[in-house]
Amino acid sequence: MLKILDFFQYAKGESLWMAHFCSGCCSLEMAAAMGPRYDWERYGYLPTASPRQADIIVITGLISKKILPALLRTYSQMAEPKYVLAIGACAYDGGPYNDSVAVIKNATEILPADAFVAGCPPKPEAIIEGLEQIKDKIKHGVPSLASQSGLYKEMDF
Amino acid sequence: MQKIIDILKKFDIASIDKYKSTWVRCKLCSSEDLVQVAKALQTNGLRSLVTVSPTDFLDDNKIEMNYFFEDYITKRNCWLKCDIPREMQRCEIDSLTPYFKGANWSEREAFSMHGVRFRGHPDLRPIIVTQDFYNKAPFRMDFDWDKHEANQTQNIKLIVDELKNEQIQNDKLLGESDMMLNWGPAHPNSGPISLKVHCNGEDIISIDPDIGYVWRALEHLVTKKDFIEAIVVVERLCFMDNINAIIGYAQAAEEIAKVEITEFAKWLRVLLGEISRVTSHLMGIGGFFNTMGLHTVAMWCLDMREYFLDFFESYSGARIATAAVEPGGLRWGLQEDMLDELQKALDKFDDTKSSLEAIFIKNKTMYFRTDKVGCISADEVYDYALCGVVARASGVKIDVRLDEPYAAYDKITMDYITQKNGCAVDRLNMLYEELKQSIDIIKQAKKHIHEGIASGEFNPTKDHKVKFPKRLPKGEAISRVEWSRGEVLYHLVTQEKATNPYRLKIKAPSFNHTMMLNHLLAGQTISDIPLVFGSLYICQGDLDR
Repeated sequence: MLKILDFFQYAKGESLWMAHFCSGCCSLEMAAAMGPRYDWERYGYLPTASPRQADIIVITGLISKKILPALLRTYSQMAEPKYVLAIGACAYDGGPYNDSVAVIKNATEILPADAFVAGCPPKPEAIIEGLEQIKDKIKHGVPSLASQSGLYKEMDF
Repeated sequence: MQKIIDILKKFDIASIDKYKSTWVRCKLCSSEDLVQVAKALQTNGLRSLVTVSPTDFLDDNKIEMNYFFEDYITKRNCWLKCDIPREMQRCEIDSLTPYFKGANWSEREAFSMHGVRFRGHPDLRPIIVTQDFYNKAPFRMDFDWDKHEANQTQNIKLIVDELKNEQIQNDKLLGESDMMLNWGPAHPNSGPISLKVHCNGEDIISIDPDIGYVWRALEHLVTKKDFIEAIVVVERLCFMDNINAIIGYAQAAEEIAKVEITEFAKWLRVLLGEISRVTSHLMGIGGFFNTMGLHTVAMWCLDMREYFLDFFESYSGARIATAAVEPGGLRWGLQEDMLDELQKALDKFDDTKSSLEAIFIKNKTMYFRTDKVGCISADEVYDYALCGVVARASGVKIDVRLDEPYAAYDKITMDYITQKNGCAVDRLNMLYEELKQSIDIIKQAKKHIHEGIASGEFNPTKDHKVKFPKRLPKGEAISRVEWSRGEVLYHLVTQEKATNPYRLKIKAPSFNHTMMLNHLLAGQTISDIPLVFGSLYICQGDLDR
């Protein structure tokens, strides 16, 4: 019985689909990661247009005030179990836009990320590495951070 | 030029002078004359009002309005200024939108950011800013950002409430003959922009683009940095082509500081700028086919793009956020073997070019789908002040690289490239032709740099930079560059002994192009939205700034 469950987790981890949601400049490097040179599909990642089919949502860099409700809605439309990956300095503390009021600086406090990729923007290899970390978590059955905590739970979006 | 001066002298003017080779700078005594002057300019060929830029002078208790008029045919331009009072109640000026269609969104932006009210504007709603900034004029010097930030939760709640209200309204319209459809911001082709599409079944009645999803207030952020740090902010205008974006800013700063950069730096700027343009255009071609559901081209283009990014990586250490240009020249020198990396990229492009052209660019199926879709006539280009690829696809001969050569473009052999009809397919062909032109310019610049180094004219490790002062004198400058999407105009203002910019206005091309969407798509069907949107080559980064 245990072995079958392990197999399901393995299968889940090896075919991670992500909601196609871009909110910042880092989505350019996501595009490069999809491209022929880095080709993340060989690891089983695939962007999907519908959040209903997605396992991961990626916070691609900056989250402006206006796009925050859209992000949270897309996240809430995804089916469980779902994971969050944050890439870029902006997702952590606003990065180069730290002085700007129009940008949300605590995006990962609102929607906690299971893996964080540093850089402005991070290289495609680093993004794939971040996705691999999430894959590991899924294979070991670690629940996502966002399911346990996060300011988004108090927000009525 | 003399003709413009003669026209302006008939009015009550405070000062008038020639600025650079193509501009006349004029200050009006009274803002009441503005409409008359603008009309007189319009009848004499200056049909395009590219942007409106208010500057807030807190000490003098006035707001200075700057209007930039351009004549796309004879390349004579006019920079018009006038003062208006600063108090919120009296801060008013006549709108130019009834005469210049392109002024519509520029005036709405000035209204949202500086609180300038335009008398007679047909649709004066806030744009770009979120609900919490309505009627607060965030770009004024006395706006307290920290105080505003203190109640962040409250501000977010305002935005969310507005969104919910909108949804309730939209639900009521469901199934009616005027239904509201949101295209974006989670649509795979849209990126962070939302188009509010009013439609009757398949037919589009009107489109209201809702922008501001990546608003970072760059123009305000620049004023918190010093002149060198500002490049980090300016390059984030859009990552697809960041080099040309910094070149424009650097030129404006150099003009105020009266710094002349070296010949080698000029050539290197051309080289880097064109490589940057190539990487951007490759994404543009890929994006165009993506909107039709064909992802193979994007893959081919991304593959080619990687080779050009390799050169950037070897030169600056970063793939796209290079920060390679700075006021006073370039940030780093060049080692000659870096150019070998570039040669690899050029070879890769030459290898792929013929297949790309034969299979995709000249594809019949693609042609039948995109011909006669989203057509823009030359007159519309003048009226809406469009630029770059979109304007040239309609047969309008504009290119800042030739009209007002900067860096070393005056020594480059190149000519205007245009298409005839201005439809979606023409814009694609335009992108591809320009791509080939850029590759040609890269080859010219590369050859010249090689020769210069061999003859000892350039010292590649020392010549790249001249000293740039920490403090700048009081001044005002505009600088234009041909960005990958079109003309970008920087309006930089500094105060006495300035350590940081006082005001930087960035006129970005996507702003006017997005304004066209309603005009192009009303009456068409929903399936044309992604195609026309993709063909206009819009980047949300420079749309919102």
